[in-house]
Amino acid sequence: MAGPKKFKKDNDSKKWKKRKKEDDDDYYDDDTNDGMDGDGVPDAAKKNAEAAEGAGVLEDEFGAKDYRPQMDLKQDHGSRPLWVAPNGHIFLESFSPVYKHAHDFLIAISEPVCRPEHIHEYKLTAYSLYAAVSVGLQTHDIVEYLKRLSKTTVPEGIIEFIKLCTLSYGKVKLVLKHNRYFVESPFPEVLQKMLKDPVVQQCRLRRSAEGEGEGEENVDANGFITAVNDKKNVPQFGGAAPAGPSSEQQPTGPDASQGQEKEGEPVPEDITTFYDKIDKEEEDEDEAVLKTVSFEVNQEKIEILQKRCIELEHPLLAEYDFRNDTVNPDINIDLKPSAVLRPYQEKSLRKMFGNGRARSGVIVLPCGAGKSLVGVTACCTVRKRALVLCNSGVSVEQWKQQFKMWSTADDSMICRFTSEAKDKPMGCGVLVTTYSMITHTQKRSWEAEQTMKWLQEQEWGIMVLDEVHTIPAKMFRRVLTIVQSHCKLGLTATLLREDDKIADLNFLIGPKLYEANWLELQKRGFIARVQCAEVWCPMTPEFYREYLLCKTSKKLLLYVMNPSKFRATQFLIRYHERRGDKTIVFSDNVFALKHYAIKMNKPYIHGPTSQNERIQILQNFKFNPKVNTIFVSKVADTSFDLPEANVLIQISSHGGSRRQEAQRLGRILRAKKGAIAEEYNAFFYTLVSQDTLEMSYSRKRQRFLINQGYAYKVITRLAGMEDESDLFYGTREDQGQLLQQVLAANDMDAEEERVPGENPQRPGSRRVGNMSSMSGGDDAVYHEYRKAYLASIKHPLFKKFRS
Amino acid sequence: MGGLHGVSTRRAAVTLAAGSGGRAFGIKCKCIVMADAGKASKQNQSKTFQCKNLHDYLKTLPASTLDRLYNHPTTCLAVYRELPEIGRHYVIRILFVEQPVPQAVVASWLSQENSKEHNEVTKVLKELQVWQEAPIPGGLPGWILNPIFKKNCRMALLGGGRANCIQSQLDADSKPRDIPFLDQYATERWECVLHYMVGSQQQEGISADAVRLLLHARLMKRDEEDGSPVITREGFQFLLMDTAQQVWHFILQYLDTVQEHNLDLVECLTFLFQLSFSTLGKDYSTQGMSEAMLKFLQHLREFGLVYQRKRKGGRFYPTRLALNIAAGQTSAPGDIERVGYIVVETNYRVYAYTDSNLQVALVALFCEMMYRFPNLAVGILTRDSVRQALRSGITAEQMINFLRLHAHPRMVANGPPVLPPTVVDQIKLWENERDRFNFSEGVLYSQFLSQQDFQVLRDHAQDQGVLIWQNERQRTMVVTKGGHDDVKRFWKRYNRGND
Repeated sequence: MAGPKKFKKDNDSKKWKKRKKEDDDDYYDDDTNDGMDGDGVPDAAKKNAEAAEGAGVLEDEFGAKDYRPQMDLKQDHGSRPLWVAPNGHIFLESFSPVYKHAHDFLIAISEPVCRPEHIHEYKLTAYSLYAAVSVGLQTHDIVEYLKRLSKTTVPEGIIEFIKLCTLSYGKVKLVLKHNRYFVESPFPEVLQKMLKDPVVQQCRLRRSAEGEGEGEENVDANGFITAVNDKKNVPQFGGAAPAGPSSEQQPTGPDASQGQEKEGEPVPEDITTFYDKIDKEEEDEDEAVLKTVSFEVNQEKIEILQKRCIELEHPLLAEYDFRNDTVNPDINIDLKPSAVLRPYQEKSLRKMFGNGRARSGVIVLPCGAGKSLVGVTACCTVRKRALVLCNSGVSVEQWKQQFKMWSTADDSMICRFTSEAKDKPMGCGVLVTTYSMITHTQKRSWEAEQTMKWLQEQEWGIMVLDEVHTIPAKMFRRVLTIVQSHCKLGLTATLLREDDKIADLNFLIGPKLYEANWLELQKRGFIARVQCAEVWCPMTPEFYREYLLCKTSKKLLLYVMNPSKFRATQFLIRYHERRGDKTIVFSDNVFALKHYAIKMNKPYIHGPTSQNERIQILQNFKFNPKVNTIFVSKVADTSFDLPEANVLIQISSHGGSRRQEAQRLGRILRAKKGAIAEEYNAFFYTLVSQDTLEMSYSRKRQRFLINQGYAYKVITRLAGMEDESDLFYGTREDQGQLLQQVLAANDMDAEEERVPGENPQRPGSRRVGNMSSMSGGDDAVYHEYRKAYLASIKHPLFKKFRS
Repeated sequence: MGGLHGVSTRRAAVTLAAGSGGRAFGIKCKCIVMADAGKASKQNQSKTFQCKNLHDYLKTLPASTLDRLYNHPTTCLAVYRELPEIGRHYVIRILFVEQPVPQAVVASWLSQENSKEHNEVTKVLKELQVWQEAPIPGGLPGWILNPIFKKNCRMALLGGGRANCIQSQLDADSKPRDIPFLDQYATERWECVLHYMVGSQQQEGISADAVRLLLHARLMKRDEEDGSPVITREGFQFLLMDTAQQVWHFILQYLDTVQEHNLDLVECLTFLFQLSFSTLGKDYSTQGMSEAMLKFLQHLREFGLVYQRKRKGGRFYPTRLALNIAAGQTSAPGDIERVGYIVVETNYRVYAYTDSNLQVALVALFCEMMYRFPNLAVGILTRDSVRQALRSGITAEQMINFLRLHAHPRMVANGPPVLPPTVVDQIKLWENERDRFNFSEGVLYSQFLSQQDFQVLRDHAQDQGVLIWQNERQRTMVVTKGGHDDVKRFWKRYNRGND
């Protein structure tokens, strides 16, 4: 409020930042999202709860951070579920009677760090709090509820941190109403403050009093338009049950203070009552009559305004009031009655459409948990023109199938726009395309040119971004400049990148709206129960000798082509074929892929495989009982929907990429029939050559899934393998020959495949890895190749403004 | 002459085993030949800490001491109780036979397939002086029970003789102590000792005698700088054992030093055995106990094996610790029930619901500790932290047992298995990966003058199947020790042929 105080805060934050740096060095590895760039992120977001713990943290004699002096245990701690550490980490007992309450709350305000069986860890970050505010939680409620759930007193620093991060967030919204942009806020003083800023003033659009018939709007003394939002219904999805009756809402005010005294019951009453209150608020936010003020903004200056607002620490939340949008025509699309949403899908959508408008944001669901249904439902709810972006031709087809399966849309309404299939776009309701088609910069065919033109002219109601984690910010920004859309929904299974650029998505698309718990979905049978195993294959002495001697690039080939690994693969394939399973074998290395597949006489798919051949192989895999095993390269990592597959064998992978591991696991996650009969109904094997680099990669890769509660069983010996006499490469001579082949292979073979499909520069021509590296445009591959490149660009969204 | 004669140096060839010990599917890799087998295993012994069971201990005692021990029916019963099942069977069968029984007859009591067990049992019985070899008039070897053991064992089973030397109190205690109280007392006293070991400040000290004992047992050692006792590796391993084992080990160490206190070993042991047959929750009289035994009782009191309200009160209560004493390593079912406090997650996190420094110290032995909350300590099992523990001589088995023993009720409810199997496997794998060298004893042949000489000898060794390793470029080869003579002879013959 007052000037000096604010100034002081800033000072503090600088101090904190300094300390944070020191802390980070010894404390953090790369799986936190702290390493964000400075530009385009509000100051508060740069703050780190880590720093909030202050300097006074002692270490106990065992090297642990000793928080005991900073907090007091409550008397009834047994019935409260969590500990809040002064560094923002929160530990939650999953066996607590109030687990459900606490879990829902924590998922809204913090990022899950790990969620295994008994004790979950969450972390408060500026982004997570931003997300919490944007779905309608208030600072006061967050602090109060956290206090009640905690077994101990909540450290001062944390409360301070929450206040700092949430007070200025979520106060102002950018609303598109009647095709005009408004900056809206329930707090007039905030708008006044903002309007004092000259830049904001420039962006403001003042209409003359006689206006174009907006007589019903009241203009107050400041020129603000005031509006009263009254009861609106939360949209209901498909066959989902309606939200709980609102009439039971109790007067929650007094409870808040008196609840503290009631202690000793299994579920402290203050927790439940408060939970009910928050739960209601989320759902019925708009039942209360809400008074808002707003001013209109010049459409061309939206971006300038957004950027300025971020600098002013009032980031704009984008919301789309699709019901009152009369300019864009409704499309005639509805969910089929047969489409029934699962509880978590419904929950995630409720976060998105919580107040009757559509919020932009990201929904995180494991692969196979029905992300597309969420996407389809979102489109059906908005009922405006929808654009779906995905990252390969195959998944374009799959999205179309999904639309036809779940909604009333027919072929005429769904238009595909890929290099292979170009349907007539005019008059369609849903357009499905790939990122690379949109961002393509070179010359297009006349037909494509027309479609692009049309696409650019449209005002899209909703844009669904599939596998949103895979697209780099640069490409994403280009998509945003080409396509005008009111609301953006990102879908992904793994909101993580090795380069931590994921934080950008918060401001490019919107906050994370929902993240599902893998283990819980697995327990309830929504996704398959997977047994993960790491199979250790000893290097044969000959291969190991070469491995030790050769240069780095060859090493990869040597450990992938290790004969023991080959034999283990062959054994596993046979074993599962006998059981009647469907197996996918993944290899990032094309040389190995081909060698394995040809030697075992199985079909394989990699970059150069044509679309037709791909579809044919996949169809065969699905329906032909004789084709039970296919070999695929990393092109199949994402969005190849193979519901039949239940065994996955990974023989070579991309370094330590946690995301790839999770994506691949996703290929077999779709719930299987007869799920209850066996303990596990899907198998995920990673084959690693012992004593090689692969071991450490594999450990790194597994971290994400382990944090989701998966356990990797280490297998050092496959039982029954000796009985298989006719496995290949059993003799020294055969192994020697293989070694010769490997040594004769050139360096290019040793490299991993780059996927050219995502490369905007050359979409049509697909060549094997070596050529793509020469084009220098491997934008969409996993980050390790582009570390230096990425370091040089900072927040592309705001690049424009810097000059 | 056509080249230097083969042997120039002797050393053990070391080869890297291709596979490490398998866990998940249950195959362990075996060392082929240990070059310095003796030395290596001795090292192992000094590193991993041995806790003897009752038999192992009694075995070390001289025969005369054993005979004196067997003079007491309770000792005989205790020894009898701890015999392997087959052993008990044998003893009871010949307990009332006065003449020697032919060994062949005894062997025939068990079917042929179980001859291994039979041999083991006969060995145990012999080592414990329970029976002795005695020739039968026909000249056949036979077994006869040790007469002292026989007499007292009968007495233990049938009654008679002098009464139990611990007498139960005649008049009732005015303030009788119940079992929960005794359990709590025992736990408190015992943890006092453990707390002292980890050096935590939150407890009263222990007596100088006890400190001396810890030093003697090498569970603690004098710090080089200030001379204050600090915990040793063995001490850490000791801490990871369960309470019954700890007490037994501790008492064994104590018995080693009884002479210093002018106590008689046999008397002490007998008393301990008698204690182990007493009833929990019942009070006994100190009447008729010698001065030495009263002193011994005071020591037991300090460690929580017995409870006495007043030193000269004339009565004492044995606690569960004393009752379990003779059970030694076989875990006693009546161990004091304790609520587990450790949660182990599949992501290697370890959460300990405790504020006790002792318990955190134990977890910290093999975990990297991250946070301490008022009632929770958070740690993580990492390769480094486990290796650190392994280096200090703690075995994977000990860590796993410790975690299992103290598992939180939540974990137990979800089990079995109580611990995530992947974590257990991983700890074992971390242990196994330290042990991947195979030692093959051999003889090195080097410095051949020509490539041809080398090839001839190498091919010969290979044909004989005694070649362990060879390198053509360096002209060196290693043959097994057994094959050395043959290869040497061949080499001499070959050289002679060339001359």
